[in-house]
Amino acid sequence: MVRCRLAAAVAMLLFTASFAAAQNSTVSGRVANAQGGVIANAEATLRALPPPGTPVMPNMPNMPAAMERTATAGADGAFTFTNVAAGDYVLYVDASGFERSSQTITVGNQAQNLMVTLTPLIVPGAEEGAAAAAGVADTQLLLDRIRQLEARITDLESEAVLSEPETRVKRIEVYVDQNNNVHDQPVEGAKQQVTYQRERVYRRQTINEKIEEALAAAEDQAVKIGVDATTVTQGAGRTQGDPEHPSKKAYALASADLFFAAKLAQYTSFFADVVALSGAPPDREIPSLTLLNGYTARLVNQNELNLREAWLRTEFFGQRLGITAGRLDLTNYFDRNAFANDETTQFISDALVNNQMLGLAVNGTGVVADYDPKNAFNFKVGFQQSNPDATSLSDSIYSLAEIGYTATPFSLPEGHYRLWYRNNNGDVDSKHGVGVSLDQKLSPFVGVFGRYGQQQIPGDWDRYWSTGVSFAKAMVFNPLDTWGIGYARMRLASGEREHLTEGYYNFLLTDRLRLSFTLQHVLDRQSDKFGYLLPGIRLQAAF
Amino acid sequence: MRNVKRILILLIVALIVGAASFTRATLNAAVVKVPDPTKVVMIVDRDSNDIAFMDIASKKIVGRTFLGNNVNPHMVMMSPDGRYVVTGGTRANKAYIIDAKTLELVKVIPVDIAPEHLAFSPDSRWYYQGNPEGDSISVIDMLSLTKIKSIPGLVEPLNTVFLPDGSKAYVGNYGAHWVGVIDVRRHELLKKIQVADVPGVAKLDPDKYLGEIKGINIPQITNDGRYLYATDTDLGVVAKIDPREDKVDKIIRVGKEPWRPYMSHDGKYLITPNNGDQTISIVDLRTDKVAATLEAGENMTGVNFAAGKAFVISSTSGFVYVYDMNSLRPAGRMKIGTNIQLETATTDTKDEKLYLADSTENAVVIIDAKTQQFEKIMNVGLYPWGTHIMDSKDNYCH
Repeated sequence: MVRCRLAAAVAMLLFTASFAAAQNSTVSGRVANAQGGVIANAEATLRALPPPGTPVMPNMPNMPAAMERTATAGADGAFTFTNVAAGDYVLYVDASGFERSSQTITVGNQAQNLMVTLTPLIVPGAEEGAAAAAGVADTQLLLDRIRQLEARITDLESEAVLSEPETRVKRIEVYVDQNNNVHDQPVEGAKQQVTYQRERVYRRQTINEKIEEALAAAEDQAVKIGVDATTVTQGAGRTQGDPEHPSKKAYALASADLFFAAKLAQYTSFFADVVALSGAPPDREIPSLTLLNGYTARLVNQNELNLREAWLRTEFFGQRLGITAGRLDLTNYFDRNAFANDETTQFISDALVNNQMLGLAVNGTGVVADYDPKNAFNFKVGFQQSNPDATSLSDSIYSLAEIGYTATPFSLPEGHYRLWYRNNNGDVDSKHGVGVSLDQKLSPFVGVFGRYGQQQIPGDWDRYWSTGVSFAKAMVFNPLDTWGIGYARMRLASGEREHLTEGYYNFLLTDRLRLSFTLQHVLDRQSDKFGYLLPGIRLQAAF
Repeated sequence: MRNVKRILILLIVALIVGAASFTRATLNAAVVKVPDPTKVVMIVDRDSNDIAFMDIASKKIVGRTFLGNNVNPHMVMMSPDGRYVVTGGTRANKAYIIDAKTLELVKVIPVDIAPEHLAFSPDSRWYYQGNPEGDSISVIDMLSLTKIKSIPGLVEPLNTVFLPDGSKAYVGNYGAHWVGVIDVRRHELLKKIQVADVPGVAKLDPDKYLGEIKGINIPQITNDGRYLYATDTDLGVVAKIDPREDKVDKIIRVGKEPWRPYMSHDGKYLITPNNGDQTISIVDLRTDKVAATLEAGENMTGVNFAAGKAFVISSTSGFVYVYDMNSLRPAGRMKIGTNIQLETATTDTKDEKLYLADSTENAVVIIDAKTQQFEKIMNVGLYPWGTHIMDSKDNYCH
């Protein structure tokens, strides 16, 4: 046993020695600049390349520190690596003020002597003298300077840029003592203060960037104006009821909204909406319980400009709490169903735009507070004047409160669920109302919605509900078209009933132009029974 | 005989020890500022024209590499082998190569016009520098540290992604609606993959479709490397690309003007921030369907994943929106500051902390993903534009 071990050890030693004798070699070289001048004290690194089959992304702790050897060139620029095993290597040579030289070499049995030429490293703006410190001759400095200037010309030719240093004003915190001396760091007796100071940076901007910035800044300061112009043309054919009711009639209503928005202060903005309507909607002739054209609710006086909304909004507590105050339509802020809340792009029947039990049709002075911590819950509360003829606000307060929740139930996409309560102390039949609203996506393309509401009237309740389905991004002619089908039912305590069904298809022709086709059927049972079928076209331009 | 054996063993041991000590003694003698590249955050400072290195443990800047005035670096990245840190100087039209340990600038390589985003091949051999205004990619050999080729024929190449085997690279062309496929052996454009059809109504809207094009930012690769997903901002879609056949497998319609896809670390979802309607779309990668579309902020520039949540950066609002990736519901909103501009962030390898570039405050914001608390590290450089941590799963730029 002992003999075996001894033999193995001897064999290993002999093998190692013979391997070293046969395979190891010497790699030497000399480092110089482009003109042949010697560069002393350069650092040469020999790194072995991994053999084929080595994992391509080695873990960091095992990085090839042990596979590197370094030698420093002498005053004559020469360096030597002895005892280099055969294989593939990368030879790096570094010297202060020069770019790294890098080359792959294959080491065999023969010694190698290499000539390494280094190129000066040009860093515009860096401290001068690095090259001089490296002992480079004046001639080379001049050549380097020429090369640097040539590179700059190339840059300028490649792109028109503004190279002057840019300045910007920054808000900074400083410490000011009793003598008004300013300190960057806290010192005894100094108070922390906020001030503003110009900062200079070396940033090149293209002319396009500069122009875009200027335009954006100007736009930010300006009052933004928007226009929403819509024409709704509807026909009406009687399907049921007394011949005294009109039939085979055509109706048209044109609406134009002018929006003004401006930023007044930090997190504070102003908004105004001036609207003008003209035309004859079907609601003038067909005595349905709900409006067949949602735009009719805006019609105050024909061919006159009306200030519909004008309010200020500001935000507090990390912009979680928003307060809006001014002339507004409180119902705009509540029951905002994702699939049935916009007469401009979705259903046109008011019964499928608003919950009929919200019970307010006029705009007035009011306040809304919405608290949204962006954690799936949100809360809203608000009030407004409900009767424009009331002599005091306290005699006509219409108030609303709502809790909203965003959910993803049963692995479905997102849905929004809301519960609201309203109160009206004005001279109206219904003082209280309560309702729920939901919109739930069933798939990325299909969503359903539902609403229910009831309002208390003396001795009984009026009831309303609606439901429907909406499609987007699938089963459409163009990718951004939408369509939907909805049904709404009203049942008043007086015994009056209404069933309303509507389908619409909304073509998004461009970002600013939409064309919709609508088809409504309404069946009312009031003092008599009547029904109407209303096809319609809605053309909307918004910009 | 026993003595001979002992002598021989001692001789062998001495040889081994001697060889080891010799190797150790000849290790690189330069000043090592970053002994372990995995322990630093790299910060690209656009307007002070440098790359700053912040120690993750002490939160101190341990080194800084100045690149030159008016260089305006855009994105920083470390080579997968940890040897080099590279960046493209957008206004200098050059690529900069920094030694990752000594932080010395070792090479400056002229590339094409306005270099921005970059990528490394998995074996660290090739550094692809995209030049959006030059419509090209510059190929830099990291062994010889030289530019060996320029790949033409691209249209505003914004980001490049390599397959895990390094055989092909996929380029997002922001100025077109196709993804470029590069043969990495020859560094040539192999194929163009159109992600989706331009809708027929486009001809009615020349202002939108002819005025400016917002195409593909990046084809993002799945964790298993099997598929790529690319958003098209104008078309509002995510295209699923099969790299085996280089064809579009499926088109998923998301919100308006999706910026780019971001993959969750568990590989279950991708998120697109949709700046056109200020939402995010969460796409379930098992079904390739949108699992949720949630409200978000304005001008979103990035998404990071940590502690089971997604953090969505809203650049100009100063907010980071948080979403629970288990329930796919909103999980709050973090206000980082007022009148500030946030850029992009990286996540540490433990998925615990985010390092967010806060450009207008010259700061990096460290966000604890679990508690959603944050602290600001000020004066990291002028206008920090992005951050990078080696081996992070959230290394990206704008």
